[in-house]
Amino acid sequence: MDAAAQSPLPGLVPAASQQTACVIEQVRMARDTYRLRLECPELARQIVPGQFFMVREQGGSDPLLGRPFALYDIVNNDDGDPIGVDFGYVVVGKLTSRMVDWQPGDTVDIWGPLGNGFPAPPDGHLVMVAGGIGQTPFLAVTREALGQRQYGDPPRDTPTRPGTLTLCYGARSEEYLAGIDDFTTDGLQVRVSTDDGSHGHHGLVTDLLKDLFRESPEPTAIYTCGPEPMMEAVAEIAAEHNTPCWASLETPMACGFGICFSCVTRIRLDDGQWDYRRTCVEGPVFRAEQLQW
Amino acid sequence: MARVPDLNVDLNRLRLANPILVASGTFGYAREMEAFARFENIGAVIPKTVTPQPRIGNPPPRTVETTSGLLNSIGLDNDGLDSFVEKHLPYLKELPTAVIANIAGHDVDEFEAMASVLDSTEGLAGIELNISCPNVSGGVDFGTNPQLAAEVVKRVRGRTSLPVIAKLTPNVTDIVAVAMAVADGGADAVSLVNTYQGIAVDWRKRKPVLGNVTGGLSGPAIKPLALCAVWKVACQVDIPIVGVGGISCLDDVLEFLVAGASAVQIGTANFYDPGLASRLVDELDGCLGELGVDSVGDIVGTLESAPAAAPAGKTTT
Ligand SMILES: Cc1cc2nc3c(=O)[nH]c(=O)nc-3n(C[C@H](O)[C@H](O)[C@H](O)COP(=O)(O)OP(=O)(O)OC[C@H]3O[C@@H](n4cnc5c(N)ncnc54)[C@H](O)[C@@H]3O)c2cc1C
Ligand SMILES: Cc1cc2nc3c(=O)[nH]c(=O)nc-3n(C[C@H](O)[C@H](O)[C@H](O)COP(=O)(O)O)c2cc1C
Ligand code: FES
Repeated sequence: MDAAAQSPLPGLVPAASQQTACVIEQVRMARDTYRLRLECPELARQIVPGQFFMVREQGGSDPLLGRPFALYDIVNNDDGDPIGVDFGYVVVGKLTSRMVDWQPGDTVDIWGPLGNGFPAPPDGHLVMVAGGIGQTPFLAVTREALGQRQYGDPPRDTPTRPGTLTLCYGARSEEYLAGIDDFTTDGLQVRVSTDDGSHGHHGLVTDLLKDLFRESPEPTAIYTCGPEPMMEAVAEIAAEHNTPCWASLETPMACGFGICFSCVTRIRLDDGQWDYRRTCVEGPVFRAEQLQW
Repeated sequence: MARVPDLNVDLNRLRLANPILVASGTFGYAREMEAFARFENIGAVIPKTVTPQPRIGNPPPRTVETTSGLLNSIGLDNDGLDSFVEKHLPYLKELPTAVIANIAGHDVDEFEAMASVLDSTEGLAGIELNISCPNVSGGVDFGTNPQLAAEVVKRVRGRTSLPVIAKLTPNVTDIVAVAMAVADGGADAVSLVNTYQGIAVDWRKRKPVLGNVTGGLSGPAIKPLALCAVWKVACQVDIPIVGVGGISCLDDVLEFLVAGASAVQIGTANFYDPGLASRLVDELDGCLGELGVDSVGDIVGTLESAPAAAPAGKTTT
């Protein structure tokens, strides 16, 4: 990621390709929330946590464009070879309301891996702060950080001695909490908040993060994904504690690989000015202090 | 045995290996397409519009999908001519295909100055003049004024020996008049069309969806409109036409050729089918071979429209 950020022409996607993928299964995760499993070995072999891909219905022109989804996790066969990807989605609009009807055996278009992804897990106490469907990138981050899985081609190094790992996960209410079972694993502490208090802490997910800074071990790095106001608040708390923070943006995208210039976000420049940068190729993961919220 | 059709295209002084081009603003600076495209299969690459100075572009949201279409207001976000020449041209000129720079200026002087700079660089096959962008305010709207459009072409031609294509806006009452004017001004060809102005409304918030309020509509939704523009101009103006608007498959390509386009550009479809342009030339080759056509030029403008339907001096709807 850092190499890409320094290149004068960052964000090319030499490894990406477009493929036809077969739906393997669809599972309900929570209210209006589903997990889709697609067969696409090539993509699965290359993708790293925090990267994404574009998914599109074949043939028709409405919906016209692909839609970006983050990697939830790769799927390996019995021999441990990657054969597919899982992603979680919430039904919000045109494509996602049709995706609910996708059946095993249906074929769809998929292109990726796209974007930079989260940096390989740092040592120390990594805290992931998720809001709503923003939890999806963190399953793969967790599994990589705990040394349970390797990602990328060639595989990225995973820590030999996993550090401490915490997920702070905020949702509207209990019925929207998705994938809690997936996140139940040795080595990960999960703390939940809901807006209505139906599960866990009654209040904001940032309250959970503030609590962590009063405990030991203190967070040493923060990854966040979710609604922008939440991520901005997380970034502020991280800055107060001088803790490095990375945020994964969910900017709407038309192509996903840098040709349309629609997915721009404001990035701070050294001279105090800002410039628009393409989230799909220079992100979606940015160092929080780079972002002009 | 099927014959091997000749796919070469002559747009006056501009000769291309085949009629499948990719449209400005929908192919980045080509580099981004490396993983998806086979450049040698593409008749010409037209990178994103370049302006004399860097432009930051419009505030997001810059695109919104509409029914079978895409509304965009990118606002010519680009790093300016110097950066184009330094950063992108060295890469572009090594591509195994023709490269046509697309330029836009605020006034005729800016167009002229850019043409001079590009004339002194190496690696370009031609220049496309974007006198049609609906997303930039402050400049003169050359594309809606036949005299001004002709003036831009004439002055650019005075500064460069490169072939010149004028890309026209469809947001006019009479596109034939503008095409005629730029043909008189010395354009080698016209590209028809840029996007159609539109807006998207979020009625719940009582707000426009795009940061720039208005945008340009592209994609399959505009194909019949673009075809109509091509057909009208083909009927009345003696100038090669590059058809663009909603093309997403071989049938679309053939419809434009038959309606009078000598070549076509693939635009929005690159966003969701980045390998399309590279595939289409093979498909076209196969199809023309089966038809027993010697040359792609043989089917250009072969539409048999009833004389009563051919547009007279006034445009009909
Ligand atoms: C890098 C990245 C990763 C992502 N990962 C995930 C993920 O893992 N899981 C997930 O669920 N989502 C994810 N998203 C978000 C996801 O891409 C969107 O939810 C998805 O594109 C919605 O598609 P749709 O066709 O269902 O909705 P659309 O119909 O495209 O609508 C999307 C939203 O825009 C609004 N909208 C659309 N058109 C208009 C209009 N004309 N006026 C006003 N409002 C409008 C809709 O109400 C809706 O809220 C990610 C986004 C990015 C950029
Ligand atoms: C996101 C986007 C950006 C565009 N940018 C430019 C541009 O910079 N210069 C230009 O001449 N045309 C630009 N266009 C217009 C296209 O080149 C093309 O004329 C138009 O989209 C119609 O073709 P299509 O329906 O195949 O996309 C842009 C179109 C889109 C969708
Ligand atoms: S989505 Fe097209 S450039 Fe980022």
